[in-house]
Amino acid sequence: MTLALTRRRFTRGGLALGLASGTIARPAVAASEPIRVGWLAALTGPSSTPAIGFDRGVRYAVAQINAAGGVKGRMIELVTRDTQGDPTKAVNATQEMISREKVHAIWGPTNSGESLAVTPIMARFKMPNIHPCVVDSLIDPVKYPNAFRMAPSNGQWDDAVRNYCLNIVKATKVAVVGDTTGYGTSAVGASVAAFKKDGANVVYQAQIDATQPDVMPDMLRMKNGGAQAIVVWSVSASMEARLFDARATLNWDVPFVGHPAMGTGEIKGLVAKPENWEKVYIIGYKSCSFDASGKLPARTQAFVDSIQGKIELADTSLWWVVSGVDAINLVTKAVAETGSSEAADIIGYWNTLKDYPGLFGDFTYTPQQHNGYPTSEVVMSKANSSRMGAFELAPGYNS
Amino acid sequence: MLSNILAAGLAIGAVYALIGVAYNVMFTASRVMSFTAGQLGMLGGVLGALFINRLGIPAIIGFPLALAGCALVGVVTEIVAVRPVLGSLEKHLYVLSTLAFALMIQQFTAIEWSTEPQPFPRLFGIGNGGVTDEKFWLPVIACAVAVVGLELLYRRTLIGHAFLAIAEDNFAARALGLPERNLRMLGFALAGVVGGLAGFSSGELLLAFFANGALLNFYGFVPVALGGLGNNRGAVIGGLALGLFQQAANFIVGGVFSSVAVFVVFIVVLLAAPQGLFGAPPARRV
Repeated sequence: MTLALTRRRFTRGGLALGLASGTIARPAVAASEPIRVGWLAALTGPSSTPAIGFDRGVRYAVAQINAAGGVKGRMIELVTRDTQGDPTKAVNATQEMISREKVHAIWGPTNSGESLAVTPIMARFKMPNIHPCVVDSLIDPVKYPNAFRMAPSNGQWDDAVRNYCLNIVKATKVAVVGDTTGYGTSAVGASVAAFKKDGANVVYQAQIDATQPDVMPDMLRMKNGGAQAIVVWSVSASMEARLFDARATLNWDVPFVGHPAMGTGEIKGLVAKPENWEKVYIIGYKSCSFDASGKLPARTQAFVDSIQGKIELADTSLWWVVSGVDAINLVTKAVAETGSSEAADIIGYWNTLKDYPGLFGDFTYTPQQHNGYPTSEVVMSKANSSRMGAFELAPGYNS
Repeated sequence: MLSNILAAGLAIGAVYALIGVAYNVMFTASRVMSFTAGQLGMLGGVLGALFINRLGIPAIIGFPLALAGCALVGVVTEIVAVRPVLGSLEKHLYVLSTLAFALMIQQFTAIEWSTEPQPFPRLFGIGNGGVTDEKFWLPVIACAVAVVGLELLYRRTLIGHAFLAIAEDNFAARALGLPERNLRMLGFALAGVVGGLAGFSSGELLLAFFANGALLNFYGFVPVALGGLGNNRGAVIGGLALGLFQQAANFIVGGVFSSVAVFVVFIVVLLAAPQGLFGAPPARRV
């Protein structure tokens, strides 16, 4: 037998050597390579406020984990892209994260418009994705087995508002209004249908143009219809402030119940008088609400105490910050428990979570259910009670 | 209900009328329809809130400062968006140039000011939100003062006559030695003041919001079309009628459909009187 080095043998040998070295070297690289987490954040632009809050939690969590030596020696590498709230930019950033940056998981986007655009792309690449967007159709374990929601869906918000109106306010006649955006229109439609299904009398239903300078015509219709609660689905602070002022002008004490935007700090400057902001109840979360004695739940309080002087909470919402922390922890926990950053392993681990104790809530996922946030955690809060990014519980929860 | 229709309708109608007058003043000075009129209105509110609320300047100083700022924007409009296209008016390039400049003003305001509506200061603290509240009657007073002032300017002053002369025939006016370019710049500064007055006086109603510009551009154009191009009295009557009709439609058919109702009436009126209700048919040399 001769060992002549032919061109064919040389090529085969080279290929074999290459494959062998790749196979042998791989575990060593995987054991030391950073865990790359993509972070699709609308950090600038008109819808940047939530992402800035989420970002504070994300950066804090990454710094804490890396300072403690990482996850089994693997550091976390955050790959952040500013999507500016633009679905096109979100699509480009997602493709870059998957193809060029080779991230192991993606957190975000944080608004539904972007998420609707990128969710099918991530599904095609089986990229583990966790996000806080509310649109119900974003979660579908059959179409998108890689996508997990860690905040309430629109349906859960709607349930909480309806439950508050019907069972705590004891309103049998309600008015439901929203702005003229796609979100406002769809949210009003769904809310009205659910109220009617539960036997409530919807005395007024309308889309109000957010730039309409005088909302008195709508308020008079609601009052004349005998509304006992007004449900608002809008992110327009100016429209909401006008509704509150019009209620005061009519000397009417009907409660407003609905979208968290009614609790943003901007309302304070827009209402004619601070008292016009009373009896306004927004969607909130038990984990980020003060009880009657002014205390946060123990787990949240411990976190708030630990970040004193490190994270600014006065100009943001606490739930955004703790969600950012939870998102990073969910990714790193999956890697720590499975010892792998492979997509299938991360997704597989998330599918087994039951009452995972996050800061924002206890998350539970199964292969059939990727809406992991418990409905029981969604409560109503007093809109004008913001302190350190958290709110007081609305009347009816304390007793 | 009737009192609310009258109060809110006249207030918002007065704002539309003033924006219509701003359109007319710029048209009179240059024969150009400058689509920056609504942005001048928006800036009146934003600059007022900036000077008084954010910088803490007393309202009595903040008010003229806001108007001066709007006048400056008016002059810049003339230099940047109008003067370069005056030579080819028949090509209507001014539509593109003034719309582009309006968009630039809007985006700059959104970036530097805020994308969310900001509060405008209470100027006198009169009223409690009802029909006697200052937010309803301030725009009406501002409109009355502006219209009377302009009438006096055009009819009683030499500079007003010069404005009318260049509006009538700018070649003849130049031949007579009138400084046409300076008068045109002055006309745009005046339009800035009128637009700024609209925004400042309605700040409590419309708030200091960058998107008000597009809204005012749109609704402010309706009284111009209804009243006849260049006709200030027509613009005022058209604006007030528009405001009242819009508010009545808000009560009768609801907010979203009121815009539809307004534009149905607008189209019907223009079909019946294409030159506007108070405009004269264009003269044709024979």
